[in-house]
Amino acid sequence: MYAIITISIVAIIVLFLGAIQKKTPLLPIIFVGLPVAFIINLLGWNQSIHYYNEMYIADNFSIAFNAVLIFTTLLVFIFAPVYYKPVKRPLEDIYALILFALIGALTMTGFGNILMLFVGIETMSLSLYILAGSKKFDPNSNEAAMKYFLTGSFASGFLLFGIALIYGACGSMNLETIKEFVVAHHNNIPAMLNIGLLLVAIGMTFKIGAAPFHFWAPDVYEGSPTLITTFMATVGKVAAIAAFFRLMSSSFSDMESSWVVTLTIFAIATILIGNLSAFYQDNVKRMFAYSGIAHAGYMLIAIIALKQQAAGVLLLYSISYTIATITAFAVLILVREETGTFSINAFKGLAKHNPTEAFAMTIAMLSLAGIPPLVGFAAKYNLFIAAIEQGHLPLVIVAIVGSMISVYYYIRPVVAMYFNLPSATSAIDSSSNYKKQIFLAAFLMIVLGLIPGVIINLI
Amino acid sequence: MLSLYVFFFLSAVTLVSAVMVLLSKKPIHSVLYLTLTFFTLAGHYIMLNAQFLAVVHIIVYAGAIMVLFLFTVMLLNLNIEGEFQKSTVMKFVAAIAGGMIFLVLIGTLKSFDVTTVGDPSMTQIGLVKNLGKTLYSQYLMPFELSSILFLSAMVGAVMLGKKDKN
Repeated sequence: MYAIITISIVAIIVLFLGAIQKKTPLLPIIFVGLPVAFIINLLGWNQSIHYYNEMYIADNFSIAFNAVLIFTTLLVFIFAPVYYKPVKRPLEDIYALILFALIGALTMTGFGNILMLFVGIETMSLSLYILAGSKKFDPNSNEAAMKYFLTGSFASGFLLFGIALIYGACGSMNLETIKEFVVAHHNNIPAMLNIGLLLVAIGMTFKIGAAPFHFWAPDVYEGSPTLITTFMATVGKVAAIAAFFRLMSSSFSDMESSWVVTLTIFAIATILIGNLSAFYQDNVKRMFAYSGIAHAGYMLIAIIALKQQAAGVLLLYSISYTIATITAFAVLILVREETGTFSINAFKGLAKHNPTEAFAMTIAMLSLAGIPPLVGFAAKYNLFIAAIEQGHLPLVIVAIVGSMISVYYYIRPVVAMYFNLPSATSAIDSSSNYKKQIFLAAFLMIVLGLIPGVIINLI
Repeated sequence: MLSLYVFFFLSAVTLVSAVMVLLSKKPIHSVLYLTLTFFTLAGHYIMLNAQFLAVVHIIVYAGAIMVLFLFTVMLLNLNIEGEFQKSTVMKFVAAIAGGMIFLVLIGTLKSFDVTTVGDPSMTQIGLVKNLGKTLYSQYLMPFELSSILFLSAMVGAVMLGKKDKN
């Protein structure tokens, strides 16, 4: 709650400084403001405070996810000077919009009332629509913004209609009251509530980019500026999945029979479509879009296996996915700066010129593929165990097959980096900021892979 | 009794004009039918004793947004007869998808029983005074957060509209 206020203040200060054409203090203010928000957020640990008539609940779940989201945003901002080096204007609008999107994301993890969920989703989505089109003179960026906006507002329509039906059935939008209603009407759940939940699930599935509502993701991820894609693929996805999990676990866990089958089908379709489509991509950025879809499918498993400590597993999975994706995108930004292309061939011989970057990319790819001892393996392992204990064996088999497919396309850039002859490009000059972040991410991926239990038992 | 007739009249006009938005060939007619839909919806709000919502609905939708639509249609000279090209497969798929969700919604509404929702004409929540009190007490947080939503929309509008290279 106070983290949200802190970030709002930082965003407004950034906007003001931009308005008076100050360029230099923008990023330092963000680099001070976000860690402060991070600490303020953690101060509420174990207190579980309900704010403003249960509109916002700062329990351990929301605090842990908020910490992940704020930290991820901080990492994204570390790349901003590298990515926006050629741009001379202050860029206050882009920074402020990223912060506004973060505020929306923080609202989504801790909502106690479906109204807050909707406001949070809209704040995040609206900022992301604009950010997707922030490269104004690039037709791809315009296309991405337009596609994202049209499909996204359609999904918001579904979500809102679903919320209206749930409100009509339960007479309240408070998560607790809805849960009481569900428990009281356990034997005869009204059809209206079922359909409302289905429509809300459609809206949320769209926001996390899972099949069958994933069609926007590849084009939007490919067309948006790479830094924004990084933000979208990490913060946007984690916030949406956390919100979905919170909704299901705090209100609808007692009417599982009406949504588990649907979500299982969604998850199976997502894992298969994501992995099989990524298989054929030569454009690494597009490949990451499909890999993001596949990972959304894995994260849906956590919602399906709700009862087995799944919150902690989902947190671990989110952390592993976020760190690996950010590292991979960081290297991708560098390679793209140098070679001007996102093609897989651009990675040829990277290991020879830039061993650090190549190593970080390798770690990230192996972690995403789920190879021990990295954190990606620990996350997937615990997720599958939780699902098996709940009796979702077919789903887990599909997920494992999907993981095996994914190894192929995650290894391709690694092979290109280490075993192919270097193309004509010279060494990539990486600025100092950048290396520290890469080391930090690689370190986190290895260490968290060794102690996954700490994270899982956290919430 | 009178209110029942008014309700049926308003509903009929709403449905017919909403269908006409889709069926009319000229964009300008679609826009005008849409305005009519908004006005009849505002009538529904008044019947539910939500006067503030009705007024805001007319001001925002029928006032601001429709004017914007009309301007866009006129300035871009979009007032050309004809429809967008759609393939038969597309039409078929769209009809099936739309028909399915229509059936599902009909099924939902059939099972609807008024147990939890109060009689709207009895509650005074739609009046400006009560609405303001609720908005600033119970719904304070979403209300304040939507200011962030609007601020980000404004920043985005300025950013996209600004003239600069890069």
